[in-house]
Amino acid sequence: MTTTNAECWRSVSDEGLRFFGEMSASVSHEIRNKLAVINEKAGLVQDIAAAMKSGRSIDPERLEVQAGKIIDQIRQANRIVGALGRLGHSVDASQTSINMTKLVGLVAELYGRKASQAEITIDTTGLADGVSVITNPFLLVDLIGACIDASLPRVDGSRILAIASEPSGDGAIVRFQHLEGVNDSDVQLGGEASGARAILAVLGGRMTADRERGEIVFEVSDCQYCDSGSHQ
Amino acid sequence: MKVLLVDDEEELVATLAERLSFRGVEAKWSTEGQDAVDLTKHESFDVVVLDVKMPHLNGIQLKKKLERIRPEMKFVFLTGHGSEEDFRIGSAEADRYLAKPLDIDALVATLMEVVSHDDNEC
Repeated sequence: MTTTNAECWRSVSDEGLRFFGEMSASVSHEIRNKLAVINEKAGLVQDIAAAMKSGRSIDPERLEVQAGKIIDQIRQANRIVGALGRLGHSVDASQTSINMTKLVGLVAELYGRKASQAEITIDTTGLADGVSVITNPFLLVDLIGACIDASLPRVDGSRILAIASEPSGDGAIVRFQHLEGVNDSDVQLGGEASGARAILAVLGGRMTADRERGEIVFEVSDCQYCDSGSHQ
Repeated sequence: MKVLLVDDEEELVATLAERLSFRGVEAKWSTEGQDAVDLTKHESFDVVVLDVKMPHLNGIQLKKKLERIRPEMKFVFLTGHGSEEDFRIGSAEADRYLAKPLDIDALVATLMEVVSHDDNEC
């Protein structure tokens, strides 16, 4: 790390705030969309009921269909709110044992809307059971998000960003697959001075581009910074 | 009155179209900018109601394309963001701007107002 500890931690802090803001704004937009749909569906139920009362012949099944769709929207909104809640709670501990399947699944959930806007599906079925790492959960979420950000523009014609994981020594390897033309510039995370680079340095992680396999590879080991006390 | 609704959330536009039909407004819908362009090439609408933020072709870009095809059409922007920036863009670019969730009666009143304003100008 070429910057001083204080500068580095300021970058980490700024990046964390930026990331949390971006995720909050994205989730709030998604919830607002769900509420907008629920609002219209409930309104349509009222319209249908009013038309039936006034003697119009309308198949009552239309009410049932709309009620079912309202329940679907509420379930989807609840899932999104749950993801935001889990993100919020990721700051509860500065260091803990993290189940990578759960954590990467959370980030995939948070990035679902961004990916679907690019007509990309995130496939997390390749995440292996039992892969864990001891580190800072919130910063790891941020970095996995940075990996997805770097991967999305490179997703190949399958339009599927597959994420796989495997254990590696005292840590984990996460692979972002089905990428086309991936190169070193994709893993620069905005350059040496960026907040994401500072987090990568603080967690002792490594990101590489494997052009042949069409992958961005992220390696992280058990907490590297906690022993030094430099985060205090 | 003929209205085209464009928003990437299919459940929203399909339901809005149905609700407008209960109020005597003929509404068609599309979830994708290029589809809306193709539709407009074949028929004209009095008003296009479109989301500011959509993938590929956003609301502002789509409006410009549709205006070139049918300069007489009026535009109402929708947004789910409610940010200052969205409000500024929406207010500046469209004839009217509405935030989600919508009030259907306010939407119908806005559509009427936009169309009647056009009639008055003629």
